[in-house]
Amino acid sequence: MSKTSDTQQTNPLREGLANRAVPQACTVVIFGATGDLTMRKLIPALYNIAADGELPPAVTVVGFARRPKTDEQFRKEQEEATRKFSRQTVRDEIWNGFANSVFYHQSEFHDTAGYKSLVERLDKIDKERGTGGNRLFYLAVAPDQFEPILKNLKDAGLNKAPEGSWARVIVEKPFGTDLASARELNRIVRQAFSESQTYRIDHFLGKETAQNILVLRFANAIFEPIWNGRYVDHIQITAAETLGVEGRAGYYEGAGALRDMVQNHLLQLLCLVAMEPPTDLGPDSIRDEKVKIVKSLRRMSHDEIARNVVRGQYAAGAINGKEVPAYRSEEKVKPDSKTETFVALKVRVDDWRLADVPIYIRVGKRLPKSGTEISVHFKKAPAVLFNRESVSLDQNVLVIRIQPDEGISLRDFIRQGEPGSV
Amino acid sequence: MPAPETFAPGLPAEIGKIDRELKKLWESGSAMTRASLMNLAVYSEEPGSLSRNTQIISKITEDHACRAILIGAKPGAKENRVEAWISAHCHVSRAGGKQICSEQLSFLLEGPSARLLPNIVFSQLDSDLPFYLWWQGDFHDPVDPQLWAWVDRVIYDSQAWSDFGTQMQRVETAQAEAKHRIVLCDLNWTRLVQFRLALAQFFDCPTSHHRLNEIEHVEIDFATGCRSTALLLAGWFAAQLEWTLEESSTADALGFRDQAKKLVRVSVKEKEGETISRCAVKCGSIEYRVVHSANADLLDVTTEGSEAKRRCLMPAGSNDAEGLMSEELMRGGPHRVYLRAMNCVRRLL
Repeated sequence: MSKTSDTQQTNPLREGLANRAVPQACTVVIFGATGDLTMRKLIPALYNIAADGELPPAVTVVGFARRPKTDEQFRKEQEEATRKFSRQTVRDEIWNGFANSVFYHQSEFHDTAGYKSLVERLDKIDKERGTGGNRLFYLAVAPDQFEPILKNLKDAGLNKAPEGSWARVIVEKPFGTDLASARELNRIVRQAFSESQTYRIDHFLGKETAQNILVLRFANAIFEPIWNGRYVDHIQITAAETLGVEGRAGYYEGAGALRDMVQNHLLQLLCLVAMEPPTDLGPDSIRDEKVKIVKSLRRMSHDEIARNVVRGQYAAGAINGKEVPAYRSEEKVKPDSKTETFVALKVRVDDWRLADVPIYIRVGKRLPKSGTEISVHFKKAPAVLFNRESVSLDQNVLVIRIQPDEGISLRDFIRQGEPGSV
Repeated sequence: MPAPETFAPGLPAEIGKIDRELKKLWESGSAMTRASLMNLAVYSEEPGSLSRNTQIISKITEDHACRAILIGAKPGAKENRVEAWISAHCHVSRAGGKQICSEQLSFLLEGPSARLLPNIVFSQLDSDLPFYLWWQGDFHDPVDPQLWAWVDRVIYDSQAWSDFGTQMQRVETAQAEAKHRIVLCDLNWTRLVQFRLALAQFFDCPTSHHRLNEIEHVEIDFATGCRSTALLLAGWFAAQLEWTLEESSTADALGFRDQAKKLVRVSVKEKEGETISRCAVKCGSIEYRVVHSANADLLDVTTEGSEAKRRCLMPAGSNDAEGLMSEELMRGGPHRVYLRAMNCVRRLL
């Protein structure tokens, strides 16, 4: 939807104004429009962009789903959900303007006729609303629906854009359940859309602090020289939440903490912390450096997995003074479920920079405190002067907090009280 | 709490002992974290400015932690008077828990003591932080070179100037003499941010880029006393679209030649309402229009004509001093577009 650099280069009135990506006019077609993701996240997010004055009025949303309903019914449902889940309070006058750009298209995902009528509808929207033939297909559906949707989009010619416009597809996690299924999904996506048209979303990367990791590392000369195994003792990447499975057991039972969080979000953070500086800030250059880190992850034997990986499940207990059930007692969870709600791993990146630096990754639900952060623990000062055994100092720690309170802090030591005490 | 959040200038302090008093202040507040990203000196000769600016700083420090140095001056007073106060503005951080505090030093300088301004400001700067000087009202002639030698960004509101040409000349002379980069930040320009955003978005789509070359007429309605804001807006179009001001232009009816030497008219009209209440851009049969209704916090943004009518609402932004300063402090960079826009219409300002 957004192409900031293109826009800024060609619209001279944008110079010095844009703080972030300026969306282009387009139609966003959301498959799975009546689902949780659409109601809780997608429509509220689009509304918030509109309320911030950053959504061009021509941007149009078409919800595509199976259940029959009118545009008006769909708008009403989305309004209720947005009032509940929006970051900022919904204002009637802004919602009403935004709602006029929201439509509903009813069809089964495998019904060819539904896509033919979608073509006609999108063409009409292009003419009436000035969306310029730009289409963004957002697959907010389970992966088993990808194939019929993508095949039908291709058969209807919607994977190709007219000259001067674009067609793109966004796929959400979970992107497969293992290597084979991820490759299979990739194959399915590629049959309809080229790699440059395909956007795989990891919303952790949209967090301000996550975007600042590369800036912190490569724009400040003081960190880069010490960002290696000579000075770094270990790194911790933590994603803890107090919430339980919260009605998502249907999905979570088949996924678990490792697939839900580690292989996507936390590996992305690991890459940002461990990667070498890219040659430029283009997406391909950054991705190339990330790939090197993933390739450098040390593979574990079965014995090593037993030593370096811990899986767990939350039991009954209390969070913030309120009693909460065990995972196996949650609705739609099997009483003998083996799905992990907690996982901790010790991994190593076999490259020159961090070869001897253990990296601890942990993620879990129903932990005492919510928070996602990366902490870089530096080696201790030599055991002389202030760091004698009797008053051994902690390590210097650089903490990069991703959520909820985004920020960066550095723990260091200063003198306090008696001479020689720190 | 020893550092009350108050709109009074704070606890009286001897100028020579301010450091010591500040130390006491921070030592007694264990739950407070002092934060500072810049030195922000605010100079005013308006009566009651210390109290008013204390309120403004209280608001600004919610988002921009700083060491605030407020100076209320009355150079023409017969009596010599120097007084100082210290205080802190504390706000609970968004994550809750800790209080993040900014310190404020306030000075009242009357009579010959007003000449001590550079000396006082310099001695109170956090030396490792950038220095922003917010000068309220007209600059004196000559602008104090000693003070400007330390300034990184000078903030002013040209809408409040008695004579734009004279004032800007003083600013530019001081800037040249300072021999280092001082960024000029005009709150009158900051005032236009939301209007510029609303106008710019009409031309984001590649299919509408050609419309920029088809602009024939721009109409701008402004409130009494806000002509300079309207002219800056006209200057922005001219600077960014490379229009040249016609000799025959007046402050009400401006004529520009675009790159193809075609005449573009800009009509500037005084009308009761918001600072800029309306800007309409006419390109052939299409009119792009941004309207700011009185007291509304949203801009009504409309495209009308041969294309389908489109309308949306966008934030109007704030026009009070707190809002403008917060907006300005969020922005870095050298404000090149402002300088170009201002120079395009300079002789009319």
